[in-house]
Amino acid sequence: MIKKSIGWIDERFPLTEIVKHELTEYPVPRNLNYWWNFGFLAMFVLFIQLLSGIFLAMHYKPDVHMAFDSLQHIMRDVNYGWLIRYIHSTGASMFFAVVFIHIARTLYYGSYRKPRELLWWTGLVLLLLLMATAFMGYLLPWGQMSYWGAQVITSLFGTTPVYGDDIVRWLRGDFVVGDATLTRFFALHYLFPFIIVAAVGIHVVALHWVKSSNPSGITLQAKDNIPFHPYFTIKDLFGLGVFLIIFSAFVFFGPEFWIMPENNVPADPMVTPPHIVPEWYFLPFYAILRSIPDALGGVVAMFMSILIFAAMPWLDRSKIPGGALYRPYYRVMVYIFLVDVLVLSYVGAKPPEGHLIVIGQVATFVYFGLFLLLPVISKREDRRTRETGLPPAALALMAEERDELSRSEHYLRREEDLKVMSKGKRKGEGA
Amino acid sequence: MRRLVCILAAVAVWMTGVSSIQAAPNDAYPLAQIEVDNSMAARQRGAVIAIETCMMCHGFKYLRYQDLLDIGMSAEDVDNYRGDNGLLDRLESMTPIEVRKESYGKVPPDLTLMTIARKHGPEYVYTLLTSYYLDPEENEANHLFPGIRMPDAMGYSFTEPGSTERAEVERNVSDLVSFMVWASDPNAETRKTIGVWVILYLIVLTTLLYLVKRKIWRRVEKLKIENGTVKRP
Ligand code: HEC
Ligand code: HEM
Repeated sequence: MIKKSIGWIDERFPLTEIVKHELTEYPVPRNLNYWWNFGFLAMFVLFIQLLSGIFLAMHYKPDVHMAFDSLQHIMRDVNYGWLIRYIHSTGASMFFAVVFIHIARTLYYGSYRKPRELLWWTGLVLLLLLMATAFMGYLLPWGQMSYWGAQVITSLFGTTPVYGDDIVRWLRGDFVVGDATLTRFFALHYLFPFIIVAAVGIHVVALHWVKSSNPSGITLQAKDNIPFHPYFTIKDLFGLGVFLIIFSAFVFFGPEFWIMPENNVPADPMVTPPHIVPEWYFLPFYAILRSIPDALGGVVAMFMSILIFAAMPWLDRSKIPGGALYRPYYRVMVYIFLVDVLVLSYVGAKPPEGHLIVIGQVATFVYFGLFLLLPVISKREDRRTRETGLPPAALALMAEERDELSRSEHYLRREEDLKVMSKGKRKGEGA
Repeated sequence: MRRLVCILAAVAVWMTGVSSIQAAPNDAYPLAQIEVDNSMAARQRGAVIAIETCMMCHGFKYLRYQDLLDIGMSAEDVDNYRGDNGLLDRLESMTPIEVRKESYGKVPPDLTLMTIARKHGPEYVYTLLTSYYLDPEENEANHLFPGIRMPDAMGYSFTEPGSTERAEVERNVSDLVSFMVWASDPNAETRKTIGVWVILYLIVLTTLLYLVKRKIWRRVEKLKIENGTVKRP
């Protein structure tokens, strides 16, 4: 019966074909480590946010006089409303945590390089969409931080030359953040996740075209790839279990950890909080904004701090495979970068006073400096590697890959690649 | 950077057309370390003080009188305290809003969420109510919140240090905090009870998933690379 139904569908829709192509016969390198779990986790959190968000929207009221109270209504009167709300508020932070780790993985292992540039760029679009969604969602509880955060961030657009004031008014729908702003942010906050779903679709299509990279960074032989199902379905499920334990610990035992006390005070346009601090996931960018002594410059720097990631495929000129694994200089740069982002987060969380100003400026300088130094350092690193040679392990893998590519119809077979690789071989052996 | 911050603040003030310089708590003042008593008895005692004292000026508007049954208050007591209010009515302040605004220059804030609306909320509230003192002109003043417009509702400043009266006030404030902590998050206990089961379930499930994963992956040998050759089973 089931077989017959599937047969009936297969005649009209490539169901079995898709399952085979994307799951049971989709090749994945067998040496992926657990850092490769986070893309799936991001998808899962996206799903949780959509589901909990839809239920919240059934009880939420996007009106400046009712928004704050409607959340307390959800927390107190709606059955398991507290659970839905805490899942959603914790989920937002978890989403960023997971996506940041996902990006750090990509940077460390150099997965942004050829042939995965488009995958990387679609990922960046996802990051921007996610930030916009989170920013608009944060206004909805209509607490003090919601209100003043939105007031500050929208006023940043006022630094645009000539059209500044018009843009700010257009964003807010009013001269100040008010009912018009709340209503439109709610409408868009409901819409954006669905755009994210579509963008994730594109992200995954791009991924399945070029396939996953792996910690060695070298395209592995066909026989070193194993089918996604059952190997990675079970690995992803196990990772999900671990993730859910951490997630639940926050939802059930520390949900207010992610909610600033100020946001449990209803928005009051007459009272500015002493320090306006954004959510933790915006802190590094906020610190960069405040580190530039010029308002317009700060805004530009803040946007550049994210957009500059798009240039990674060009900035990194190295041909050495395996991201940081076989690249000692680059590895140090990645570590410095991660520490620098932590420093910026700390500075962003504190009021800009005394030596914190200087620390923020130095950290901002280091942030951009690392990107700008990358072309030079990656070139030099390549030269050094040509002299000292790659580690034998990498050479062995590359030799295998070269043979494989010249022999078979590998999905990455390209004449150009063959040339690059035979060059690598000669250099490597000469050492 | 200062300039940017100034611009932002100026923009905000200009937009709203008010300047918002206000008396504020002194961040440097040390908060008392307290252990919140989560017993029903403490919450009930706190509820009585909240209704009889604080609600002259403040509301607990996210609570309804019937919610007091959840902390074990008897139906008769609830009926006593609610007066003319219905069981489903909210715990609003006894004094009309205009009168309060008139008297204090601002409407005293709703207290339902107070213990999660300040950093270290329970300690903050406890310290606030127990740091009133009489200045040399015999005026009430507060160490934690200089210039606060709230009078010393619990009468702390009129007690002698070390006296039994003072100990009594401190006990009352402590009960009050127990009630307020409950009011800010009445589902906390349900949440934690469910949480324990959810996490236990997840730990078992995840362990099983791990075992299944190990079993399935046993078919796949690790990719071993030694001395420049790739070793395969
Ligand atoms: C006579 C009126 C009155 C009574 C009674 C009263 N309050 Fe207040 N309360 C105020 C006013 C007015 C403010 C606003 C103070 C300000 O912002 O300067 C306030 C503010 C507060 C604050 C907020 C302080 C802050 O950080 O902004 C807390 C907490 C508080 N009251 C707790 C209580 C508790 C608990 C009781 C019951 C024991 C109580 N109050 C009784 C008038 C009162
Ligand atoms: C909404 C958020 C996102 C979702 C749901 C998502 C989903 C996924 C999934 C399922 C994978 C495959 C599994 C894995 O490699 O972890 C993947 C891979 C990848 N993602 Fe994302 N992603 C998101 C955001 C991003 C962002 C922000 C970036 C970078 C800016 C990015 C860049 C990449 C890259 C380069 C790969 C390939 C990695 C490799 O093969 O080595 N993704 N993504």
